[in-house]
Amino acid sequence: MEEELERKDRNHIGEKENMIIPVRCFTCGKVIGPLYEEYKKRYEEYKKAVEAGEKPKETPKQILDDLGLERYCCRRMIISHVDLLREAAPYE
Amino acid sequence: MKVTTLELKPNKAVLKIENTKPYFVNSLRRIMLSELPKLAIEDVIIYDNTTPLFDEIIAHRLGMIPLPTDLKLLTFRDQCTCKGKGCPNCTVRYTLSKEGEGVVYSGDLQPEEKSWAIKEDKIPIVELTKDQRLILEVEAILGRGKDHAKWQAVQAPAYKYYPIIEIDHKKCDLCKKCIEECPKNILEIKNKKLSVKDIEKCTLCRTCMDVCEKNAITVRGDENKFIFRFETDGSLTAKEALLESASILEKKYEELGKLLKKLK
Ligand code: SF4
Ligand code: SF4
Ligand SMILES: [Zn+2]
Ligand SMILES: [Zn+2]
Repeated sequence: MEEELERKDRNHIGEKENMIIPVRCFTCGKVIGPLYEEYKKRYEEYKKAVEAGEKPKETPKQILDDLGLERYCCRRMIISHVDLLREAAPYE
Repeated sequence: MKVTTLELKPNKAVLKIENTKPYFVNSLRRIMLSELPKLAIEDVIIYDNTTPLFDEIIAHRLGMIPLPTDLKLLTFRDQCTCKGKGCPNCTVRYTLSKEGEGVVYSGDLQPEEKSWAIKEDKIPIVELTKDQRLILEVEAILGRGKDHAKWQAVQAPAYKYYPIIEIDHKKCDLCKKCIEECPKNILEIKNKKLSVKDIEKCTLCRTCMDVCEKNAITVRGDENKFIFRFETDGSLTAKEALLESASILEKKYEELGKLLKKLK
């Protein structure tokens, strides 16, 4: 988990097509676009629970399983995504 | 040949195919990847785009959306009676117009006819802030996976040999090493004997063979029996994709047969 947070801190600006979640998995082609928002919401809950020292309702692994992401190619699409579109939004 | 369905969902199928050879299962797999037609967005006419994404990126994202495909109603544009101009027999049109704060989803594409409405309607295309706008029109046509990945209806088609796990109970001393090491957790001790819980989950990784010091377990694949699995992106159901692929394969063999008859 620490590794995941670290990755988020790194700067990915310049990769314009990566600013918004890709429609499909780069490797297998599964449609993963609609899953990102839900993953993020549930991940935030997990993070909140961990930071508050409580037992989280579900772990990121369980969230990914529940979203039907079986293959690790699809799982990495979700966990490694950095959503930057909002930062670039003012530049038309 | 014998086919049994182990799992059949709208977008996923797992089949057991017996009495056949890898080349046959593989030819079916390759037809699914490269020959099976489906509908995808090919032309995008952008009237206004003040979003942070370039026109090209938006067009590319639109192309990736799975569109419900009724193969009975459509023909390839280059084989159509309209001679490639684009008519309702070969082309499906959608329009999109959105302004102001919010996410533009795939479901915002409005079809000319309701029956073509996009089922996977929650794919984010771009996000708009207050004064941003996206107005466009698209044309979708049939295509094949070999021309572009956006026309590939089937994802991750794969097969594996049906596992055969042999345990020599005389040699096995129930040390449990294989049980601990099996990545799929399918080995257990039952009635004081090592046994397999769910053989279809075995990946033939042979870790159990490597850790066994008594050479009591052997794993191999049955070369005449396969587990074949694939998913679809929703443009076709798994069943439609399988039946259509099989009929494409059949036609290819027929064509070859005709050509061979002409030889001499
Ligand atoms: S081959 Fe691999 S998956 Fe199969 S039983 Fe042995 S360790 Fe488990
Ligand atoms: S590792 Fe070998 S000896 Fe030990 S339980 Fe498994 S099969 Fe038996
Ligand atoms: Zn994938
Ligand atoms: Zn036509």
